[in-house]
Amino acid sequence: MAAPSVISPGAVDGVDGMHGAAARPRARSARGGRPGRTARLLRLPFYLLAVTMIIPFYWMVITVFKPFQEITRQPPSFVPANPRLTSFYDPAWTPAQPDPAHTSGLLQRFPQVSLGFWRFMINSLVITTSITVLALLVCSLAGYVIAKHRIPGRRVIFIVIIASMMVPWQTTLIPNYVIMRNLGWLSTYQGYIVPAIAKAFVVFFLVQYLHSIPNELIHAARVDGAGEWRIWWRIVLPLLRPALAAMSIFIVLAEWNNFLWPLIIVQSDGMANIPVALARMNSYYVGAQSQGAIMAGALLASLPTIVFFLIFQRHFTRGIVLSGLKG
Amino acid sequence: MATVSMGRMRRTRSWLRRNAVSYVMLLPFAGLFAGFLIWPLANSLYLSFTDFDGVSPPKLTGLENFRRLFAEDDRFRHALSNTGTYVAATVVLGTLLSLGLALAFRGSSWSHRVMRTIFFLPSVTSTIAIMLIWKWIFDPNDFGLANTVIRWFGHSTAIEWLATPGLSVPILVLMAVWGGMGYGMVIFVAGLNSIPEEYYEAARIDGASTWQQFRRITLPLLRPVTTYVVVTSLIAAFQIFEAVYIVFRTNANTIGGVLDSGLMIVPYLYDIGFTHFQLGYASAIAWVLFVIIFVISLVNLRIGRAFKEL
Repeated sequence: MAAPSVISPGAVDGVDGMHGAAARPRARSARGGRPGRTARLLRLPFYLLAVTMIIPFYWMVITVFKPFQEITRQPPSFVPANPRLTSFYDPAWTPAQPDPAHTSGLLQRFPQVSLGFWRFMINSLVITTSITVLALLVCSLAGYVIAKHRIPGRRVIFIVIIASMMVPWQTTLIPNYVIMRNLGWLSTYQGYIVPAIAKAFVVFFLVQYLHSIPNELIHAARVDGAGEWRIWWRIVLPLLRPALAAMSIFIVLAEWNNFLWPLIIVQSDGMANIPVALARMNSYYVGAQSQGAIMAGALLASLPTIVFFLIFQRHFTRGIVLSGLKG
Repeated sequence: MATVSMGRMRRTRSWLRRNAVSYVMLLPFAGLFAGFLIWPLANSLYLSFTDFDGVSPPKLTGLENFRRLFAEDDRFRHALSNTGTYVAATVVLGTLLSLGLALAFRGSSWSHRVMRTIFFLPSVTSTIAIMLIWKWIFDPNDFGLANTVIRWFGHSTAIEWLATPGLSVPILVLMAVWGGMGYGMVIFVAGLNSIPEEYYEAARIDGASTWQQFRRITLPLLRPVTTYVVVTSLIAAFQIFEAVYIVFRTNANTIGGVLDSGLMIVPYLYDIGFTHFQLGYASAIAWVLFVIIFVISLVNLRIGRAFKEL
């Protein structure tokens, strides 16, 4: 599925803006000289398109800050007339006396779950962190062996790993569900974590990366009497740091947003991750008066990854170009 | 004789000592990989030939599931044709727009970088969150955003966007293209910026127009990147699930929207497997998906190799 060799590593710098000089002449008209008016004109629809990119996010944010009567106002307001945080928590709402003027905020939903919505944030955090750490450890071990140890069968193993990247994972959904049920792992953290550790793509990527690391470093350590585990921990892992950073971004993103697998294995309310909890709100609360709370949940779900992206933006684009993978 | 076997033993032992640690290091990955990928894959192929319902032991029924899928199951045929339309539209529109965006915003200036960030934003946002936003935008009431917008353009009656069968696939395409453009753009930008500037300079000296440069230099040199973008978006599009599950959900037990107008392969697999618990039959659907995606990947490999030989 992935073909990182398609794009030369030099291309990455272009994304990060280091080859900017290469880009500028293209924007000029064929005759050279001033930046072409045609080029600017051709770009105009794309600026309009950028506005449509922002609108859904904007609509989410303003819905969150409207009190719920304003959410159903016609025509809708595009700047909240009196911004409130009632989508998160409405102090005037009580479960005992339903009051048509109030609706429960996001943090007041899921009364059957201790900590309410925060519980799902914690679940997502625990699951994402565990999978990322374990996957990087396990896959870097395998990658090191495949790339640097001349053991019989390593070619076959590597080919199987590459071939498995062409498999849509949904094909394994049903047997894995049966395995989880037989192990008693439905609605558990291990049900989320254990099947997600062995990531073929990560091994493939790390092996490719390790090929660029000279064997001499490892040989020298071996001559000095270091054991293989020590070499892995002290030499290979530090050398792999950029590759591990790129991979961890993808794993974090994929696991934070993972939906279909959690949807299937989570049967108790308290073990849902954020996407599953949001999907449950979506099916329990039909009707516009809950949209404030639902949008608040969407905001809490997307804010961490967006902030993460804005901070590590360079690593994101570099990782994508190197690996050609969406989380 | 004794020395020979002693030698062999010694050789075996030293081979073991040399390689044991490697295999032990490989073991955690190999075990998990075999347990949660290879074995389930084989198992799902087996289950696709059975009537497994999740409770009683599976009974072999031969090709019955596949016969039923292709000969009798109207919902599946519907899901297939919906997916086909959706995939074709999404991939064509998405690739063209990605390329356009990459050509427009490939530079390193501040404004280009901001634009790339904006278009890439959906790729890092929770799909479920995005789908909830879309569902709210397409709210059937007057105050829904989509209905407000069409009112500005003089259409005064509210449309039930998500309950109009003819709109289901177009809405899914719109959401997918909106969410996927930025990703393709990033890859195209990298591809464009890896084309040596000297080619364009030479072409300009020869008097080539911008269009000729694009047609004769950019497009041919970009071809492997284009293939890559097309193949990854094909694969991603065939696996659509969240959009259907969230946006077209009206109550707890429906999937696929009015008259199954938004039903796709994976949502149907989910419905059969985890709402109706026909796990054998669902496995057959899973293997149809497997074959489709495997073939696309193989074609990709073939094309990639052909390019390398050129």
